[in-house]
Amino acid sequence: MFALRASRNVLKSRPVFARGLASTAEAPKVPAPRIKKFGIYRWNPDTPEKKPELKEYEVDLSQCGPMVLDALIKIKNEQDPTLTFRRSCREGICGSCAMNIEGRNTLACLCRINPDIAKEEKIYPLPHMFVVRDLVPDLTQFYKQYKSIEPYLQRDEVPADGKENLQSIADRRKLDGLYECILCACCSTSCPSYWWNQQEYLGPAVLMQAYRWMIDSRDEATAKRQQMLENSMSLYRCHTIMNCARTCPKGLNPGLAIAKIKRSMAFV
Amino acid sequence: MLRSTLRLSTPAFKAGMTPQLMMRSPIAMRNHKMFGTIPQPPGGIVGTVNDAAPVPPANPTKGSYHWTFERILVVGLIPMTVLPFATGSISPVLDATLGATLLIHSQLGFESCITDYIPKRVYGSIHNYAMYLLYGGTVVGLYGLYKLETEDVGLTGTIKKIWNA
Repeated sequence: MFALRASRNVLKSRPVFARGLASTAEAPKVPAPRIKKFGIYRWNPDTPEKKPELKEYEVDLSQCGPMVLDALIKIKNEQDPTLTFRRSCREGICGSCAMNIEGRNTLACLCRINPDIAKEEKIYPLPHMFVVRDLVPDLTQFYKQYKSIEPYLQRDEVPADGKENLQSIADRRKLDGLYECILCACCSTSCPSYWWNQQEYLGPAVLMQAYRWMIDSRDEATAKRQQMLENSMSLYRCHTIMNCARTCPKGLNPGLAIAKIKRSMAFV
Repeated sequence: MLRSTLRLSTPAFKAGMTPQLMMRSPIAMRNHKMFGTIPQPPGGIVGTVNDAAPVPPANPTKGSYHWTFERILVVGLIPMTVLPFATGSISPVLDATLGATLLIHSQLGFESCITDYIPKRVYGSIHNYAMYLLYGGTVVGLYGLYKLETEDVGLTGTIKKIWNA
């Protein structure tokens, strides 16, 4: 009896199995191909006699993710494994994939592919930097400059309880818009002053971090930090061109931070 | 480039890199031949990869004092340029002050241009000559201003004359 009921249940639920294994599925809908051209800067250090060139690739946007980084990965996977670029987090928090896309320094992972397929998408490495290979710039000097501003907490004494350096909510709020910087170097490499005097001018990204430590209520080395910028090159090559704020993929404003450093150092 | 960067930390670099090695681009080579520019290290990197970039010695006269002075001049120029338009004419003393401030303002502006585009780091003595030329120009300008104020109608008067000519 029990078995019969069970078999009846099977019969009842039959419509679920209406499509047996032998039947053919509906053909999956293939979206119409949308071929977009990408012009990508190529240079190989192994063939230094060959000039850098803009190599063209064609990507079907209907088979590709929405961001430029998706297209780059697709090209590297399917067309040209020698294409070289830095990438890591694919969500705009590591700063590896900074490059010049359609004339703007930005992160490839945060930059949508221009849907206009009639236009070629041109991708270059960060401007006015030495190129290691293809889209990989040499950021050694940039990191050395970051190191020179001593980007860490400096205090004379530790808290009495040996625990944390406490900070009021208002003081913490001063760091908003500064601490979010991921040091992708988009702003520094968009700054003409940094192009011409990269060796001596610190550039917007590093100066914004210098300011971030100057206004930190827990840091006690503000005077020393200001003293480090007291020369004609390190800070005062900023002429408020503001390319930095315009290009920042995180929407920060390094130009404002630099202006605030200048103001804090004036009339003292 | 990475390889040449790493090479900086080797003893060969510390012993003193030859200008030929330090100049990699043909443009740098041409500028060196034409203008006697100072060869720059590859990638602008001085010292090893792990050293911090060198911090220049502090000098407020070139830093914050200079900037503050510039701002004071700019703020002072605003009423002085508006006043002649508003009143029609200003006293010779104020007129001379306006001319001198304007001259110093442009001197500082051009100085900034020279620091940007003819940096001492690359151009060495050419940077100095450019500065001397600028100072010379400012002195000639000051003399002209003196002439204008003492023997002629003054700065605003001259501009008015040209405007109405």
